[in-house]
Amino acid sequence: MLLLPILLAFRAAEADAALVVRLQRREPQALAELYDRYGRIAYSLILRIVRDTGIAEDLVQETFLRIWNRVQAFDAQRGAVGPWLLAVARNRAIDYLRSAAGRERNSVEFEETDRPSLYTDMEPGILASDKARVVKAAIEKLSAQQRQVIELAYFEGLSQSEMAARMGQPLGTVKTWVRAALKTLRDELGAQAVSA
Amino acid sequence: MNCTELRDHYELYALGLAEDPERAEIRAHLDRGCEVCMAEMKRAREMAALLGGSSASVAPSPKLRRRILASVGVEQRAFGWTPFLAGSTIMCLAAAFYFGGREWDFSREVLKLREESRAQIIELTRLNEAFALMNGADTTVTTFGEKTPKPKGRLFYNPSMGALLIASNLPQAPTGKAYELWLIPKAKSASPVRAGMFQSQSDGTVMHMMHGPIDANTTAAVAVTMEVDTGVDAPTGTPMIVAPLAPSLQ
Repeated sequence: MLLLPILLAFRAAEADAALVVRLQRREPQALAELYDRYGRIAYSLILRIVRDTGIAEDLVQETFLRIWNRVQAFDAQRGAVGPWLLAVARNRAIDYLRSAAGRERNSVEFEETDRPSLYTDMEPGILASDKARVVKAAIEKLSAQQRQVIELAYFEGLSQSEMAARMGQPLGTVKTWVRAALKTLRDELGAQAVSA
Repeated sequence: MNCTELRDHYELYALGLAEDPERAEIRAHLDRGCEVCMAEMKRAREMAALLGGSSASVAPSPKLRRRILASVGVEQRAFGWTPFLAGSTIMCLAAAFYFGGREWDFSREVLKLREESRAQIIELTRLNEAFALMNGADTTVTTFGEKTPKPKGRLFYNPSMGALLIASNLPQAPTGKAYELWLIPKAKSASPVRAGMFQSQSDGTVMHMMHGPIDANTTAAVAVTMEVDTGVDAPTGTPMIVAPLAPSLQ
């Protein structure tokens, strides 16, 4: 039974690699399969960030087009297309929020997602449903403030200074909560990875 | 800065929270292919991906898939036409059902009108025949029932055309019964001859014509009895009407 998740993850990674090769050959059907595999999770993430179904669908379309246009730089054998796609999706959504609120865009983040070669050697099947349960369990171990700063950072794209202003807390306190939250997540997810 | 000093900033960088100078330092390490920073960033990006995958699952509209594929030049013609074809089929079926029903209604209406027209033509023919007989040069008229409250009327007789019975106060025959006409012969030994059956109207009137020549030399009168509606060979009851064929016989 312990081998089953590993086998499933290995097969998912193999399927992703073959899919990326077909995307690089410009097979439109491969884009359809990529959407069938990651369209729902990308839409769910973007919708949680922008909270508008019409805008979320526009941003999902932008995300998949960006993947289609940048996939040549992707390492099909070592790359993890799912995490890259989610990073692009999140950045599109955060960029929309920042533009709508008249906030400064984070140019470094955008450059990062435009470099798919950075999304290599990741754990196969990282976006499998059992992983989602693990991360939810890890998030539940955070204090209320720690959970809030992680959500403000990830789902609203706020900097630590912006979080401090939003929460009415000193910047140092916010930074402490952020570091503590990230350490807890790192420890919990690392422990889960070891136990898996 | 060395990699150890940057250790707490990789997740911040992956989440877009890193600030300078750590952000610039990490970027510089990644640009020169620092293996330690590459490995740490891989782990940090995995955590970011896990956070992204933890959102509650919501399905986008089916149109979104078509939009995305269309934007790279994939036309899903078969799928795209399906709703149109399905809609057209439903509309055609509805139209066929509607117009089929209307046609059936029209057919019924035409049939009804045709039946009414036929009945009117028959009635008109009967009236024409009756008027022809009444206006005939050889036609004679006798009355009957004048001394009794009912029934009463007239008998028009024409030797070559036949006889026309017009009567009133003749109650409608009950179910299974009908009125039967008889030609009463002059010879005492001869039996009455069947001359047709009829029903009176709801107001008790009747106009009945006996077609064909009737010989006044051998026939004395016309009589009416109520019989079963299939008719009988000989009258079974008392005649309700007895009308002499010619006035001279009255």
